[in-house]
Amino acid sequence: MISESARATSQSESAYRVPYRNSRERAVKVIALDSTSAALLDELARLPWNGARFFTAAPPIRENAPKEGALKAWLADLAGHTMDLVAEVSQSDFVVVVASAGEDARSASVIAEICALRHKTLIALVVPSADDEDAVLASLKQLRPYAKMLVVTHGRDYVETMLSALRA
Amino acid sequence: MLKKEQNDYLTQTGPGTPMGELFRCYWMPALLAEELPAPDCPPVRVKLLSERLVAFRDSEGRLGLIDEFCAHRGVSLWFGRNEQCGLRCPYHGWKYDVTGQCVEVPSEPAESGYAAKIKLQSYPLIEKGGVLWTYMGPPERQPPEPEFEFCSVPPDQTFTTKRVQECNWLQAMEGGIDSSHVSFLHRGDLSDDPLFRGAAGNKYNFGDLAPVFEVVESPGGLYIGARRNAEDDRYYWRITPWVMPCYTGVPPRGDHPLHGHFWVPIDDFSCWAWSYDYHPVRPLSADEVAAMRAGKGVHVRYVPGTYRPLANKDNDYLIDRAAQKAGKTFSGVEGIGMQDASLQESMGPICDRTKENLVGTDNGIIMARHRLLKAARELVGKGKIPPGVDPEHQKVRQAALLLKRDVPYEQGAKEALVARKGVRQTSV
Repeated sequence: MISESARATSQSESAYRVPYRNSRERAVKVIALDSTSAALLDELARLPWNGARFFTAAPPIRENAPKEGALKAWLADLAGHTMDLVAEVSQSDFVVVVASAGEDARSASVIAEICALRHKTLIALVVPSADDEDAVLASLKQLRPYAKMLVVTHGRDYVETMLSALRA
Repeated sequence: MLKKEQNDYLTQTGPGTPMGELFRCYWMPALLAEELPAPDCPPVRVKLLSERLVAFRDSEGRLGLIDEFCAHRGVSLWFGRNEQCGLRCPYHGWKYDVTGQCVEVPSEPAESGYAAKIKLQSYPLIEKGGVLWTYMGPPERQPPEPEFEFCSVPPDQTFTTKRVQECNWLQAMEGGIDSSHVSFLHRGDLSDDPLFRGAAGNKYNFGDLAPVFEVVESPGGLYIGARRNAEDDRYYWRITPWVMPCYTGVPPRGDHPLHGHFWVPIDDFSCWAWSYDYHPVRPLSADEVAAMRAGKGVHVRYVPGTYRPLANKDNDYLIDRAAQKAGKTFSGVEGIGMQDASLQESMGPICDRTKENLVGTDNGIIMARHRLLKAARELVGKGKIPPGVDPEHQKVRQAALLLKRDVPYEQGAKEALVARKGVRQTSV
């Protein structure tokens, strides 16, 4: 008599997986940390997504964390409208920040603080524009304290691949 | 998740498929040397990339990997007589040499030249590190011999096994890249398995169940770094190299031998899971080899006379629910190798990735798929040689180490991730 595992893993049994949608739509927030990344996200935003929303972060040159009120205008959507960072993170499933290698990524610390408060995972992508190891290392150093997953990709196309894989 | 067409692209490896063409760029493990132990030993059936072949070692010790079927009327040459520098079909005596060239058609005069017009498909078969490797691509693009460290150290420093895994190669290989499952599925084995236990670094696995990951492209594939909190303002890093298309190295523990895997497609529904153990600077001890032969570490116990695991789908993997309940094993299946294989086989012969819900910690898998897709498209579209073919890409090593928190592993582990002769592994 064939075992249950042998029957269950057969090709014919594969056809009986329940055909239904097993997850709800994701609320993914993708934030560019610099102008180069913002241009990349501007291109990506034109593609069809399942609810991913694209933003740019406020100018990053800050030594201290901004006051609570300032966070209401800390993000901008790609049309330039100010958006509330806390609200956007609160409504997200997870947050992705995109940094160009070598650019200032310190604004990730603000986003990370809100993600931690709201218990949201932060993923960071570093996109090199040239073969500059020092620039990549500098970005990793800035982002490492904050990201649950940190990825260096040598191609801009990986950002699209990752968002698609995560059903954004 | 992947779209269906992407999933098909990555999982189909038969003749003429893009991923099949990608695999054909590389030397792949085909048999263990022990399967062809001596000249004129019995031939062995081999199925790779959905091609049925037969392997033999001729009277002079030369290795051959040729079409399984006699060109006359399609008899399997597994029944062949391996004698006098060739494999002779027992049906009508047609004989082939190791290159697949027919050298004798008894029913035709030798002077007729008939035999010279018959040639079976054949692939080069070489021996290195106790493994017989084959290259199934065009002869003019045959790469240099493989240079993975496990097959380059002296014989007494290395031990390799293979087992059949009854699912598509990709879902098996993704388990080797995904280190986030270790803290769950293999939890019990870190303390018990003789090839894992006792390492100082194990305490970090127990102490921090939420590792943070960093994925970086390497010349041959990827490095996947997993970091856990350690004392004195340091991180404990475990770094896995993945060399395309299907090689991984598991980060070391203590002075235990280094281990890792290849997953080589048999066809679209099954693969060979190759498991190696080696030490860079010393012979493996008798106890270590005994443990490996007993199915410890990443190795398995077998159905006698086969390379099929003793715990398999036909016996529900000998699952022990009491052990699962008691916390002895997480899934109820014993042994690291079968803990992985049982779950990977349960996904079905080919995992339907359109139904996945990936999370951020799956970025190693996401990037591996991305690199494979890209490499296959560039190979098919532009003839570009993929990463991992260059033997320099294969001279990598897995590593485990403690680094100050502000030191990136890409810098701090740079030397540790290179295989250096006579230099021991970097481990905790």
